[in-house]
Amino acid sequence: MIYQLISAMDKRLGFERASAHCDVPCGIYDPSTAQIAALTVVRMMDLIADLESKGNPHDAAYHNTLGRYVTVKEEHAEKAKHEVRVIWGDYIKAQHIEKHPGVHNLVHQIMMLGSKSRQTTDREAAVQLVEAINQFAEIFWDTKGVATKRAKAPYNPPLELVYPAL
Amino acid sequence: MFRLIKVTGESLSPSYREGDYVVVTTIPFLLRRVKAGDRIVFQNELYGLMIKQVKEIDYEEGKVYVVGSHPYSVDSRHFGAIERQDVTGKVIWHIPRRKV
Repeated sequence: MIYQLISAMDKRLGFERASAHCDVPCGIYDPSTAQIAALTVVRMMDLIADLESKGNPHDAAYHNTLGRYVTVKEEHAEKAKHEVRVIWGDYIKAQHIEKHPGVHNLVHQIMMLGSKSRQTTDREAAVQLVEAINQFAEIFWDTKGVATKRAKAPYNPPLELVYPAL
Repeated sequence: MFRLIKVTGESLSPSYREGDYVVVTTIPFLLRRVKAGDRIVFQNELYGLMIKQVKEIDYEEGKVYVVGSHPYSVDSRHFGAIERQDVTGKVIWHIPRRKV
């Protein structure tokens, strides 16, 4: 009875939520999602620059396309940050940090570059984001005992990515 | 002075379940008297407002070690002890969705 009453009030007023957070340890972590997201950010910046040079800023279609590029850039920069945070927060353990003491600084750098990539169209920052996440991927695969290789992405922009040498 | 909060997640199950409500007191006098076994709400940088059970308190260092009852609970075993000043409420009334 009391529960139903409070629940009805909650639906109208929207009480605060407190998380009794659980994490099911699925054990599936992979930095490739973050790498592809970062690469997408660079791609969106290239498309924005291309549109700027060729498009008509008085055209509604121009603004529509620009808006879509910026939205995708925003989403993927945030996605890259999120994916790295999850691996760093949930997977990386003390023994990994002991072996890779620079991982905290690297993650912080990724967060900063991700934010800069959202805030600006600074392509260099986005390229640095890709490289920083590459370095994070190398650390990740090392913790798994998996060797890595570097190869150019087989699509635009053809930046170098770190892949597990499976 | 009092806040009504809905619980999300299952780390305090089976006692506290997803969808339960709790009334917490935010009176500083009572928060200073939080002890082991109390359920508290607190702010966490990563997860926002959380609810957990106090396992122990280091009064000298001003730290509170919090745990959940579920084996996969994300708590002080993951993010370390929390600061006492981050404790924002103590549960004084539990309103379960289902009878426990």
